[in-house]
Amino acid sequence: MRDKKFIIIPCSGIGKPIGTVARETAYEIIKQKSGTAETVCLALLTSGDKMAIKKINDNYCITLDGCAKHCAQKNTEACGKTPDKSYMILKFAAENREMKPEGMVDIGEGGRALVKTVSKKIISDMDEILQNEKK
Amino acid sequence: MEENEKKLSKVGVVSCSGEDLPEGTISRLATLETLHHKRPFDTTTICLPLFIAGGEGDRMFAKNHPVITVDGCEKLCAKRATEKYSGEVACSINVRDFIKNSDEIKNKSNVSNNELNESEKRIVSEVADVISLKVDEILKQNDK
Repeated sequence: MRDKKFIIIPCSGIGKPIGTVARETAYEIIKQKSGTAETVCLALLTSGDKMAIKKINDNYCITLDGCAKHCAQKNTEACGKTPDKSYMILKFAAENREMKPEGMVDIGEGGRALVKTVSKKIISDMDEILQNEKK
Repeated sequence: MEENEKKLSKVGVVSCSGEDLPEGTISRLATLETLHHKRPFDTTTICLPLFIAGGEGDRMFAKNHPVITVDGCEKLCAKRATEKYSGEVACSINVRDFIKNSDEIKNKSNVSNNELNESEKRIVSEVADVISLKVDEILKQNDK
């Protein structure tokens, strides 16, 4: 049996810097966990694309939301998959107020620091999931 | 509301989310370039997954205003979702039409905002220019 991958699904959040932080965090995780982490387009998933739905149901799934609408988590659940972990970027931002994202295109130094902090926590949780599976 | 009754102050620009492909990032950045710099007073945007999942306010906006969709691939999620829930789009743009000869982009899986190469930045600018022209055309037609 092939090893399961982690599918990282960020909110699309085009209207807020925190949405860009979610997206950049997903890319940071994929970069650091190359070969074991991927993403899928949230809009494609929400549109009911069969391949996208199969992909999240066959693998571990992690959602990153930027606002209280929880689009990533709710749309993933609507596709029959309970995320293995769900994160709210706003919560990390509230806990790390010095790491303030600046804009939607360029999140600035504060935003990049927030990306590093969030991705570090999520990667640690991913490793924990894998360790628990081995037990 | 009938199509020809769509009198408006703003045009909606709906970008594909495209997390899984560089064209998605190009779509978003071109949309934001139009919204923030090229036509800030004439445009607005909505989150596509929220729209698809049932954001009533967003769907109502798209029903009552002309919408330009900016897609990153042939799946055309933004165009198809807008047509499904809010009616015909005023204009559909596919970023892939701008990068037919760029093997460099085609070989990438995804790309973050600050990792675009010069070729990708040029495409962002070209797509934003086309969106802006379409916004002008739509608003001019509605003024008639």
